[in-house]
Amino acid sequence: MSVELPSPPPTDLAYQQAACGLLTTDNQGRILKLNETLCGWLGYSSAELLSLRLQSLLTMGSRIFHQTHWSPLLEIQGSISEVKFEMRRKDGRVIPVMLNAIRRVHADQKFDDVALFVAEDRHKYEQELLRARGVAEDLLKESTAAQEALARMQAQLFDESSRQRSAAEDRALFAEQMMGIVSHDLRNPLSVVSLSGHVIKRGALDTMQSDALARIGNATSRANRLISDLLDFTQARLGGGIAVKRRPLALHAFVQELVLELGAAHPGRALSRIAEGEGDCEGDADRLSQLLSNLVGNAMTYGDPKTEVRVTSRICPDVFELRVHNHGERIPDHVLATLFEPMVRGPGVKTVGRSIGLGLYIVREIARAHKGEVVATSTEADGTLFVATIPRLVEMPVQI
Amino acid sequence: MNVQKRNNVNVTGQGVATMVFAHGFGCDQSMWRLLAPAFAGRYRVVTFDLVGSGMSDLSAYEVAKYDSLHGYADDLNEIVDEFGAGKIIFVGHSVSAMIGMLADIKSPGRFAAHVMVGPSAAYINDGDYVGGFEREDIESLLRTLESNYLGWSSNMAPAIMGAPDQPELGIELTNSFCRTDPDIAKHFAKVTFMSDHRADVSKLQTPALVLQCSEDLIAPRSVGDFFEKTLPHGTVAVIDNIGHCPHLSVPGASAKAMTDFLEAAGL
Repeated sequence: MSVELPSPPPTDLAYQQAACGLLTTDNQGRILKLNETLCGWLGYSSAELLSLRLQSLLTMGSRIFHQTHWSPLLEIQGSISEVKFEMRRKDGRVIPVMLNAIRRVHADQKFDDVALFVAEDRHKYEQELLRARGVAEDLLKESTAAQEALARMQAQLFDESSRQRSAAEDRALFAEQMMGIVSHDLRNPLSVVSLSGHVIKRGALDTMQSDALARIGNATSRANRLISDLLDFTQARLGGGIAVKRRPLALHAFVQELVLELGAAHPGRALSRIAEGEGDCEGDADRLSQLLSNLVGNAMTYGDPKTEVRVTSRICPDVFELRVHNHGERIPDHVLATLFEPMVRGPGVKTVGRSIGLGLYIVREIARAHKGEVVATSTEADGTLFVATIPRLVEMPVQI
Repeated sequence: MNVQKRNNVNVTGQGVATMVFAHGFGCDQSMWRLLAPAFAGRYRVVTFDLVGSGMSDLSAYEVAKYDSLHGYADDLNEIVDEFGAGKIIFVGHSVSAMIGMLADIKSPGRFAAHVMVGPSAAYINDGDYVGGFEREDIESLLRTLESNYLGWSSNMAPAIMGAPDQPELGIELTNSFCRTDPDIAKHFAKVTFMSDHRADVSKLQTPALVLQCSEDLIAPRSVGDFFEKTLPHGTVAVIDNIGHCPHLSVPGASAKAMTDFLEAAGL
């Protein structure tokens, strides 16, 4: 059984009302024939368009392109496709159009058959794409520029910080060298002075000479202590902290012996000792004696000379404490706050005592080297108390 | 630097003198396919693509170098050095006529004669000088270029429409003569249509023939008149043709005018 297909409109009607604009020109572009669709799109009547040149309907840019691309391509390959032109309607409005063309030879004459489509939506979309591409290119440019600026800044910063680091390293090295000079070049003449004093002591001396010799002995001891403080300070600041070797320590006995020595060093001053608690302790005896000497020396200097300085060694379950208490003027809060910083003096403007204020800094550094800490409290009623708290044994966790 | 690859140089024909053909803005050396063979019996014929056009090496396109016609002129002198033999007759279409003129001024004596097909010394109207265009016309051209990518694809996808009359042109060649990287095309268009070499025309001491079309949008008659007045050794031949490519639309008349000129010059 055969299906009967409906018959389409006649060919001429199909041409006139085709879904695209159709026209035929001679090889100079003169319009010889065109359909109704095209007339409708351009707003002209058929009579107005006949014998006009196709290119005369184009905008100037499109006319140039027509000359530089369209015509040569039609000459060379006999056809051209997908060319987008801007065409001017009779009312002056410009519409984007897509054109295909084929060149035919008929009766020895060249003719161009052209099909034309309005491409407004495609045009808008292309404009969007071009705009987006422009934005993307701008962003890329900005981002590239920003990256370059960042790289330049990083290089500058790196140079600057390298320069600063290198300068700081130079300064540190210089300071260390200075301290080395202090330690060796000052200690050697001091030991000569000290030894010579011992030699003189063996001879027969009158009272005045003996007193003078004693002052020489005291002065060299003080100079030696000062040098030790400076060396410790240097090591704490530049050498990554004070080194300690913790060994088993009979704390109370150790403190008892030290207090006897310190008492002898401060004749005419009352120094008492209290021992609390029992247990094994570990610590660096040399460093802890330095810590305690500094605290006692401090108490003697700043405490009320008519009252007693008390040293307490206390052993707790996890820590041991070394406490030094004196009566006297209260240390103001703002001084307490920076008491353990280097080059900071105690209350008042007293010029006595060790001069450059390294003692308490070294106390703190020794405590820290033992994984401990030192705190100071001071009130009018209760006086001033320094407490160094140190883990009792090396492997004990810090619970301060 | 491989000049042959850079400019896709092709050599045909033979003779004691060399004709070097340079295409204009838009297409490539295939523009000469109807004209150049007419001379291949008498001359060595060199055709090439300007860098950025046709099958030239697009990677050689440096914006800074080709930001004026001088970059192209330097290329042309390198091509002549490498592929020229005997006297050099330069045939330049449109913008390439100016490129040849600049190459000659850079290197006097290198060329024996110039044939300028539809040349223009400046495209934009300026006072009494009628180049034919206003600045906004060039902007309008750049917009048109922006939305036309004839045969262009970064991977050269074939176009869709065949050429029924000329089946020897494979479908993959469709539009390819004017294949164009849109960015390069825009830059080349700016450099071409913004160029102004009116001051150089009087410096050309070599004999020159200007092929002026009777009606040409790109190079109107007023421009031909300018060449006639300004060229020290110039001849203007007006060819009856509507359009900018007489070497394609009326190759016979073009070849005849050229032959007359070359014979008169003893070449």
